[in-house]
Amino acid sequence: MDFDWMKIPYALLTLFIVVNYGMLQNALIAKIGARVGRRRGIPIWQNYADLIKNYSIRSSITHGVMYYLGPVFRLSGGVGLLLFVPSLYGSEMFSNLSFAGDLILALYFIFFGTLGMALGAAESGHPYAAIGITRGLQQVSAAELPMALAVFSVALQYQTLSVTEIVAAQQGGFQNWTLFTNPLAVAAAMLSFLGSMMRPPFDVVLAPQEIPIGPPTEYHSSYLALMQTNRAIFPIAKIVIYMNLFFGGATIWPEFFLKVFLIYMVSVLVGVVHPRFRVEQSIRWFLVWAVPIGILSIVLV
Amino acid sequence: MAHIALATGFLLFLIGLYGALTNRNLLRMIVAFTVADAGINVVIVAVGHMRGRTAPILDGAVPAAEAASRIIDPVPQALVLTAIVIGVGITALMLAYAYKLYEARRSLDIGKFMELKW
Amino acid sequence: MVSPLVLIAAPLAGAFLLGLVRCPRAALAVTLATLGLAAAAAGWWVWQLGWAGAEAVEVFTAGTPPPFAIALRMGLPEAALTLVITLTGLLSALHMQDNLAETGHRAMAVLLVAVMAYCGIVLTRDLFNLFVFFELAAIATAGLILLSADARALGAGFKYLVVSQVISALLLIGIIFTYHATGTLYLDGIAAAAAKPALAFFLVFIAIAAELKPFPANGWALDVYESSHPAFSALISAAAGAASLYAADKLLTVGGPAWLPAATAIGIVTFVAGNLLALPQGNDRRLLGYSSVAQIGLVLAVAGQRDVLGEHYHFVAFGLLASHAVAKAGLFWLSGMVAERGLAAWAALRARPPLIFAFATFVAMLAGLPPFPGFYAKWELVRVLAAEGRLVLLGLILFGALLEAGYLFRWFGFALKREPSGEGLACAPSKGIPVLAAVLAAWGLAWQWGDASAQANLLLGLPLLFALAFVLLDWLPAWVKNTLAIAGLAAWFALTLGQYDPLRLIFAVIMLAGGAVTLLASYHAHGRRIGFYPSAMLMYAGLAQLILAADTFSFFAAWEILTVGSYFLILRGRHSEPHALSYIVFSLGGAFLILAGFAVAADGAASFAVADLATLAAPVAPWVFLMLAIGFMTKTASIGLHVWLPGAHAEAETDVSPMVSGILLKAGLFGLAVLLLAMGRQKLGGIDLTLAMLWIGAASALLGNLMAIFQEDAKRLLAYSSIGQMGYALFGLAMMNHLGWLMALMFVINHYIYKSMLFLAVGGVAKRTGTRDMYRMGGLINLMPLSFISVLVGIIAMSGVPPLSGFGGRWIFYNALLTAESRLPMILIFFSGPIAFLYLFRLIHTIFLGQLKDEHRRVKEAPFWLMVPQMIYVVLLIAFALVPGVALRQVDGHLGGLLPAGGLSWDGLTITSDFGYWNPVAIMVIVGIIFTTLFLWLVFVNRRAQKVKQFNIVFAAERPFRPETTHFAWNFFAPYRKALGFLVQPVATGFWNGISGGLHAGADFTRRLYTGNAQTYAVHLLVFVVAVHLFMTGM
Repeated sequence: MDFDWMKIPYALLTLFIVVNYGMLQNALIAKIGARVGRRRGIPIWQNYADLIKNYSIRSSITHGVMYYLGPVFRLSGGVGLLLFVPSLYGSEMFSNLSFAGDLILALYFIFFGTLGMALGAAESGHPYAAIGITRGLQQVSAAELPMALAVFSVALQYQTLSVTEIVAAQQGGFQNWTLFTNPLAVAAAMLSFLGSMMRPPFDVVLAPQEIPIGPPTEYHSSYLALMQTNRAIFPIAKIVIYMNLFFGGATIWPEFFLKVFLIYMVSVLVGVVHPRFRVEQSIRWFLVWAVPIGILSIVLV
Repeated sequence: MAHIALATGFLLFLIGLYGALTNRNLLRMIVAFTVADAGINVVIVAVGHMRGRTAPILDGAVPAAEAASRIIDPVPQALVLTAIVIGVGITALMLAYAYKLYEARRSLDIGKFMELKW
Repeated sequence: MVSPLVLIAAPLAGAFLLGLVRCPRAALAVTLATLGLAAAAAGWWVWQLGWAGAEAVEVFTAGTPPPFAIALRMGLPEAALTLVITLTGLLSALHMQDNLAETGHRAMAVLLVAVMAYCGIVLTRDLFNLFVFFELAAIATAGLILLSADARALGAGFKYLVVSQVISALLLIGIIFTYHATGTLYLDGIAAAAAKPALAFFLVFIAIAAELKPFPANGWALDVYESSHPAFSALISAAAGAASLYAADKLLTVGGPAWLPAATAIGIVTFVAGNLLALPQGNDRRLLGYSSVAQIGLVLAVAGQRDVLGEHYHFVAFGLLASHAVAKAGLFWLSGMVAERGLAAWAALRARPPLIFAFATFVAMLAGLPPFPGFYAKWELVRVLAAEGRLVLLGLILFGALLEAGYLFRWFGFALKREPSGEGLACAPSKGIPVLAAVLAAWGLAWQWGDASAQANLLLGLPLLFALAFVLLDWLPAWVKNTLAIAGLAAWFALTLGQYDPLRLIFAVIMLAGGAVTLLASYHAHGRRIGFYPSAMLMYAGLAQLILAADTFSFFAAWEILTVGSYFLILRGRHSEPHALSYIVFSLGGAFLILAGFAVAADGAASFAVADLATLAAPVAPWVFLMLAIGFMTKTASIGLHVWLPGAHAEAETDVSPMVSGILLKAGLFGLAVLLLAMGRQKLGGIDLTLAMLWIGAASALLGNLMAIFQEDAKRLLAYSSIGQMGYALFGLAMMNHLGWLMALMFVINHYIYKSMLFLAVGGVAKRTGTRDMYRMGGLINLMPLSFISVLVGIIAMSGVPPLSGFGGRWIFYNALLTAESRLPMILIFFSGPIAFLYLFRLIHTIFLGQLKDEHRRVKEAPFWLMVPQMIYVVLLIAFALVPGVALRQVDGHLGGLLPAGGLSWDGLTITSDFGYWNPVAIMVIVGIIFTTLFLWLVFVNRRAQKVKQFNIVFAAERPFRPETTHFAWNFFAPYRKALGFLVQPVATGFWNGISGGLHAGADFTRRLYTGNAQTYAVHLLVFVVAVHLFMTGM
C-alpha cells in the first residue's frame, strides 16, 4: 500500500492550529456570554492556564481501567473526527486523513468519544455521572434525527457521500451553498446543531445546578486536561462538518476561522436568551419542530 | 290398512319420543322409549305389508313357485324380530342403569345426574 | 388363508368361553389371547392386502350372494381399521387388566363383544347388519362405561343410552324406508338402485353421522369420555371412532356426491367447534374428548372432500385417522397412569423421561407435525383444497388445527413446567406397555406414510435421523453428546459445502458452523441434560434441511421441524412455559400461512420447486407473496407479530438464547430472501407489498429498539433489540436493491456474532449473580473482566461505531438508502439508530460499571465454557471488521447476477460504492494510533494515579455508603418514557391477548350448551338433525 507519509505531519499541523484556535475561541465565547450577563468574564488565555494547572496537579486517583481510558476515548474521538474530515477544500495539505472514509464515517465516529467517555465516567460509580450520561444520550438521540435527515438530504442532492465532493459542488459563490440551494436541510441541521452544543436550552446534560457537572464529575488533573483539550477540538471538528456540508466549506484558514466562529455563535446567541429544557421537553421539541423540516427537506430534494 | 298402521306407528314413535324428552323420571323415560320402539316396530311391519297377499310361509297354500307374487315381503318381519330383541336388550340395560342410579342417589330424577357438563 | 369371519367369530367364541372360566386370571388370559388372535388375523390381512398383493375379498355368510345373505368385505381399508380396533382393544384390555379381573369375566365378555361389534361395523356390507353392530356396540359401551371408578360414569352411561335410543330409532326408520324403496339392504345394491329415497337415506346418514359425535349433538360423548375408564375411552376414541367413520364413508359411497357437502359441513363445524371448546377445559380426559370429537370431525370433512381428493383420499383420510387413533389412544392410556385429573397433574410424567417422549410424540402427531402421517396428509389435503379453490374450508381447517395445537402445547408445557403434585404416577408394566406400543406405532406409521408419500420420506433425511438418534443416546453424559453434536454439525457442513450458492453459504455458515461454535458453550452443563440434545439437534436438522430445500414440501417440512425443535428448546427455560407456548402458536400460525401459500402457488402440482414461485402471475402471485411473507415475518418477529419473542428469548437457558436468537431468527430472513428473490415486487390492490415490508421493517427497528431501552431485565433487553435488528435486516431486503441486500446479509452475520456473544455474556453474568435484573447488578467489571470485554466489543459493534464491524453495516446501509425508491420509511430507521445507543449503554453501565453490590463482592468470572465461544466471537468481530470482503465479496458478486447493478468495488483495502468509500483497515490503524498515543501520554503524565475505593467519590456534602442507593440504574431512561412512552404501549400484546381472551370467553360461553341433562342432549340431537336437513335442502 502506498501511503503518503507526509500526511502525518500535515495532519498534526491541522491539529495544532485547531487546538489553539479552539482554546481561544472557547475563552472568547465565554467572555461574550459573561458580557451579556454584565460580568467581566475570563481572560482570553484562561484555557491555557487551566490546562497547565490541570497537568500539574499532584493528587491523582483512578477508579479503574475504563475510568482511566475514558478521557483517552474522548480525545481520540475528537482528534479522529477532525482528521477524518478535510479541513480546507482544495488543499492537499489540510485534507487530513479523509482517505479512510466518507461522511458516514465522520457521522458515526462522533459517537466513538461519547461512548468511551460515557463508559469511563460510569465506572467512577458516581450517580451524577450516570445521570448526566443518560440525559445526554436521550437528548442526542432525538437531536441527531434532524441532522441525519439533513445529511441525507444533502447526500441525495449532490449524489455523493464524499465530503470533498460535497464541498466541491458548492464552490463558485455563496449562492451555491447548500444554505441557499437546500435551505430546509440547513434549517433542520442547525436546529439539531443547537441540541449538540451543550448550550441552553439544551444544556441539561451538564446542568451545573442539579447535577454538578454531569459526566465529567469525577474527572480531575490530567484526565480533565485531556478532556479540556477535547473541548477545544471537538466542537470545531463538528462545526467543520456543518461548514463543509452547508456553508460552502473553506479554502483558507481565515475563512475557516470566520465560518466556524459564526456557526458557533448561532448556538451561543440562542443559548444566552433561553432557559433550559428538561430532557423530555427537548426530545419533544426536536421531534415536533426540527424533524418535520428534515422530512420536508428529504421529500422535496 | 297399511297407511293406518304406518300412521299409528309414527304416532306411537312421536308420543314415545315426546314422553322421553319431557318426563324427568327415569322410569317414565324408559317406558316412553319402549313406546317409541313399539311404534317403530309397527312402522317396520307396516312397510313390509303388501295388500292382498298372504303370510310368507311356504306350505301347501303357497307353493314355492308362486311365492314371489303371493306372499308379503318377509325381510321386514325378520328385521323387526331382531329390532325387538335389541330393543329388549337396551331396555333391560336402561332399567339396570336406572336401578343403579337410584341406588347411588336415591332419586330417579334425570335432573339429579348433571354433574358432568360443559 | 384366514377368513375375515375370524374377526367376528373369535371374540364371540372367546366371550362364550369366558362363561366357563371361573378364575379371573385365566379369564384375563383368555380375553387377551382372543384379542391377540383377532389382532393377528387383522395384521395378517393387512400384510396380505398391503404387501403380498392379495385382492380384496367379499365373504357371503349364508353361502349365497347378497341380497339374500349378509356380505362382509375385507379390503385394505377394512384390514387396517380392524387392526387398529383389535390392537386398541388388546392394549386397552392390558391397560385395564386390574379392573377387568376385579369385575370378572362378564366385563371381559362385554369387551370382546365391543371389539367384535366395531370390527363388524367395519366389515359388513349390509345396512341392517350395520344397525345390529351399532346396537351391539351401544350395549357393550353402556356396559363398559360401568368399569370406571368414577361414580359419575353411571349418569354418563344413561345419557349415552338415551341418545343412542334416539339415534337407533332414526337409523331403523331410515333403514326400513330405504329398503322399501330399493328392495335391498346390500350397500352396493342400494348404491346401484335407480331411485334412492332421499329422506330415508338422510335418516340413515344422519344417524351414522350422529354416531360420530358431531357438534352440537355430542354432549353425551364428552361426558362418557370424561368419566369412563381411560383405557375404554381410548377404545371409544380410537376404535369406535374409526369404525363409525368407516361406516359414514360407506354411506357416502352409497349416497354419492350429493351427500358430500353435508359431510364436509358437519365435519368442519365439529372440528372447529370441538377444538374451540377444548380451549377452556381443565380436565385432561374431557379435553381429550373434545379433541377426539374434533379429529373425527376433521376426518369426516375429508371424507366429504373425496370427490376432489381422488386417488389421495385414502392417503389423507387414513393419515389423519391413524394419527388420531394412535395418539389419542396413547394419550388416554397415559391419562390412566396419571393420578389426578387436572392438566397440570401431568407434571407427574416428568419422573419418567420416556413418558415425556411419548407425550411429545403424541402431541406432535395430533398437531400434524413432521414426520408423522398427519403432516403428509395435511400437505396433500391443503394442496388439493387450494387447487380446487375451496379456500374457506382450507382456512377453517388450518384455524382449527391452530387452536388444537394451542391447547395441546399448552398442556405439554404444563407437564414439563408445573410442579408435580402429591399423587404421582401409576407405573405398572401393564400400563406402560400400551403407551410404548403406541409410540412405536406412531413412528412406524411415520415411516409408512413417508414411504407411501409422493413426496420425500422425511425419516430418510440424514439430519433428522441424526437428531432422533439423540433420543436413544440420551443416557450419555452431556459432554459426550455435546461433542457428538458439534462433530455432527461440522461434518454435515463439510459434507454439503459444495451445494451452497454464496447466498446460502452465508446462512449455512451461520446455522451450521455457527451452531457448532454456539454449542461450545453447552460444555458447561453437567450431568446428562436429558432432552436438550434431541431438541437442539432437531432445530439444527430443520435449519440444515431448510437451506438445502429445493421444493416447497421439503422447505415446509424443514420449517416445521426447526419450529418444533426450537419450541422444545425454548421450553427448557425455568419460567418459559407461557412464552414457549406463544412462540409455538405464532410459529405454527405462520407455518400454516406458509403452507397455504405454497399450496395456492402449486395449484395442484404434486411437486413445486421453490424457485418456481417466480413463474406465478398476477391474480394469485400477490396473495401467495402475502401469505408467505407474513409466515416468514412471524419468525423474524416483525412488529405486530413480535409478542412471542421477548419472553421466549429471555427465559430460555443461557446457551439456548444465542441459538434461538443468533441463529434461529435467520431462518425467517432466509425465507424472506428466498421469497423476494423468486417473486420480487408484488402489488396487491395498488399497494406495493415490498413497500409495506419496508414500513414494517422500519417500524420494527424503531419500536424494537424503543422497547429495549425500557427493559430492566438484561436478556429481555437483548431480545427486544433483536426485534429491532431483524427490522433493519427486513428493511434491507425489502429495499430490493443490491446494497440493501448486502446490508441485510451483513446484519445477518453481525447479528449472529454479537447477539450470540451478548446473550452468552449476559447469561454468564446472570448465572453468577443469580438475577437478570440489571439494577440489581453493577460494578462487575473487575470481577468479570472477560465478560465485560465481550459486552464492550459487542455493543461497539452493534451500535455501528467505527472501527468495529457494525460500522460496515451502517455504511452499506446509507449507500443503499441513496438508491432506495421510497424515502419516508427511512426516517424511522434513522431514529432507531441513536436509540440503540441508549439500551446498549444501559446494558454495559448497569451491569459492569457503577457501584458493586455487597452480595456480589465474591462473584467469579463466568464459567470457562461460556467464555470460550465469546472470545471466539470477539476475534471474529474484529476480523470481520478488518476484512469484511472475505465474507461479503462473493455474495456481492452473486447478488450482482440477481439484482440490478450498484454493487461495491473491492479494490485493495478500500471499499467503494457509487457514492462513497470506506477503508476499514485504515480506520482501524488511524484510530489505533491516535488512541495509543494519547493513552501513552496519559500514562506518562498520570503515572502517579492512585486506585481508590468504591465510595471515594465527590458527592454533595455526604459520603455514600450503600451501593443500592448510589447505583443509578433503575428506570434509566425515565424522560424517554415521558416523551415517547405512548409509542410502546403494548398494543400488539393487547390485540393478541384480546383475540385469545375472546376465543376463550366464547368457548367458555358456548360450552354451557352442554348442560349435563340427558334430555337436553337428546334435544341437541334433534336440532342437529333438523339443521342438517335444512342445510341439505338448501335452507
